[in-house]
Amino acid sequence: MDDTKQDQKESMSLFEAWMRSSADMMESSLKMWQSVAPAGDGGEGNADQRRNRAREQWETTLNTWRAAVQVMREPEAMEGLFKGINTMPEILLKMVQPALNGVFHMQQEILKRAMRIGKSTQAYSFENLDQEAFKAWTEIYEREFRQFLSMPQLGLTREYQERLSAAMDKYNVLQATVAEFITLFMLPVEKSYKVMQEKITQMADKGKLPDNAKDYYRIWVKTLEGHYMTLYKSAEYNEAIGKTIEAVGEFSVAKRRILEDFMQALPVPTHKDMDELFKEIYQLKKRIRQLENQNKTGETQAEE
Amino acid sequence: MGQSKIPVDLILSSLAEDAEKAHERVQKASEVLLSPLDTEIASTPYDIVYEEDRVRLKHYRPVTEIRYKTPLLVVYALINRETMLDLQPGRSVVERFLKSGLDVYMIDWGYPTRKDKFLTIDDHVNGYIDDAVDLIRKKHGIEKIHLMGICMGGTFCVIHAALHPNKVKNLITTVTPTNFDTDQGLLHIWMKNLNADRMIDAWGNMPGDIMNLGFLMLNPARLIIDKYVGFLENMDNKGFVENFVRMEKWIFDSPDVPGETFRQFVNDFYKKNLLIKNELHIGGRHVDLKKLTMPLLNIYARFDHLVPPGASDKLTGVVGSEDKEDFCLDTGHIGIYVSSKCQREFAPKILEWLKERDD
Repeated sequence: MDDTKQDQKESMSLFEAWMRSSADMMESSLKMWQSVAPAGDGGEGNADQRRNRAREQWETTLNTWRAAVQVMREPEAMEGLFKGINTMPEILLKMVQPALNGVFHMQQEILKRAMRIGKSTQAYSFENLDQEAFKAWTEIYEREFRQFLSMPQLGLTREYQERLSAAMDKYNVLQATVAEFITLFMLPVEKSYKVMQEKITQMADKGKLPDNAKDYYRIWVKTLEGHYMTLYKSAEYNEAIGKTIEAVGEFSVAKRRILEDFMQALPVPTHKDMDELFKEIYQLKKRIRQLENQNKTGETQAEE
Repeated sequence: MGQSKIPVDLILSSLAEDAEKAHERVQKASEVLLSPLDTEIASTPYDIVYEEDRVRLKHYRPVTEIRYKTPLLVVYALINRETMLDLQPGRSVVERFLKSGLDVYMIDWGYPTRKDKFLTIDDHVNGYIDDAVDLIRKKHGIEKIHLMGICMGGTFCVIHAALHPNKVKNLITTVTPTNFDTDQGLLHIWMKNLNADRMIDAWGNMPGDIMNLGFLMLNPARLIIDKYVGFLENMDNKGFVENFVRMEKWIFDSPDVPGETFRQFVNDFYKKNLLIKNELHIGGRHVDLKKLTMPLLNIYARFDHLVPPGASDKLTGVVGSEDKEDFCLDTGHIGIYVSSKCQREFAPKILEWLKERDD
């Protein structure tokens, strides 16, 4: 205990000596400055004015330092300072810990959500269509990852960031929807090949294979057409095409909003600006037409 | 060792023969494709007699003495272009009308731009169409004109005739959708699930290319594959190539549809079916089909995959006209105007029907 006190005392005197010598050094450099560059009378232009301002700043700093040295020479202040230095790591830890915890929590959330991927896909059977994989991915994206893009944005640029996140979200949805639609759309082609193989086997068994390549093509096109008609009437296709068109539209709107943000910096009107103008012209023309019709009716009545 | 069930030798010799023919065809095709081709469409001469915004009114120059007292105004759909009625000499409905002495006007809707996105059905029917009708009436000094509508243009004509029966002498609707509550065509099924509001918010107008993609997807086996296989098989035939290119030019010449009009057409017609229910309001006025009292000829196609018979054949049952007729042709949506067989039936039927009601 006594050793600690002794150490602290030595440190205190060392610190005090350092502060005093710093003040002395600052004072001597100020004196040197004054001797090299005497204060201007303010009438010698901007360079002189800037030099004076710099010297004033230096003097102010020196005075502040002197005051600090004066205060720190008191044993209570020095003791307080050393206490503070001793507790610094603890304070820093307290400041950093919540931030670290936040990042760690976020990582855990992402991991947790990633681990749920397997659970979500269990609900679907992969026996029939690959399309189920797209459905699964869409569901996982919407349930687990979309929230990250929907997190509230803060600060001056929050609205721009929100629009950027929205566009990323719509793009992800569009990708998944289009992939699902294309898979569905190509299904009749796959099926028609399968049916063709079966038909060829049957014809071969009966010994009735056509010797003309065009006949095979005709059978295939007819089969393909039939499969498309079946697909088009299915609820799945109707749902998929509706979702795809909707996703294309949503992404177009989101993309346009970002472009409009960027275009604000350019000297060109945006769609929004032009639409407002077009609407005004449209309404004015309509109003003129109404007035012309009223005028015409009035003239006819007057003639009668 | 018995004979194989698969005639491998025949198949192989047939393949060799096909390869040889294909080689010859490609050689001839390169000559055809590199030679000057006549692929011009809509070559019948006309004058522009009225212009408003993007819309123009064409007046075809008579080729013979006018034998009909009343001129005819043809209103095409907002989807694709009116050039389909005048694809080429010998395959032109317009040409047939002119040769029979009918005075023909036709609305060219032009190419809508973003500025047109606010235009509604009211603006098209009570604006552009009504202005064209008034201009023709004034020019010819007559009270009423003949009105003929194609597809969606027919729907617009029905609305116009119901709102302005005093201006229409005879009404002809061709492959015109009026009943939208049918499951006969895929378009009618798909449109019910379509979020038109979202599409118009996204694009302003309905892009013609997206509509075309939708039409191609109605039958990809035929329209994306078989059609071009047919072209490859006949690309050494100059006449075939010219006709094919003309059709391609017409099919992919697709203007956008003004946004508000598209939104209204999907929501009020395809989804709510208001027209045939007699509940439609346009420009604040009730479109009462009972007020459509002029003679009506309703032509539709039995194999139409876009406007199936179920979407067209209900109109005559609900209008106020006493003189009305349904006429069905054994063809498809486009074949009704361009197939050689229908050239002999479609235009002559209209000319004959109008002649009887021209006094």
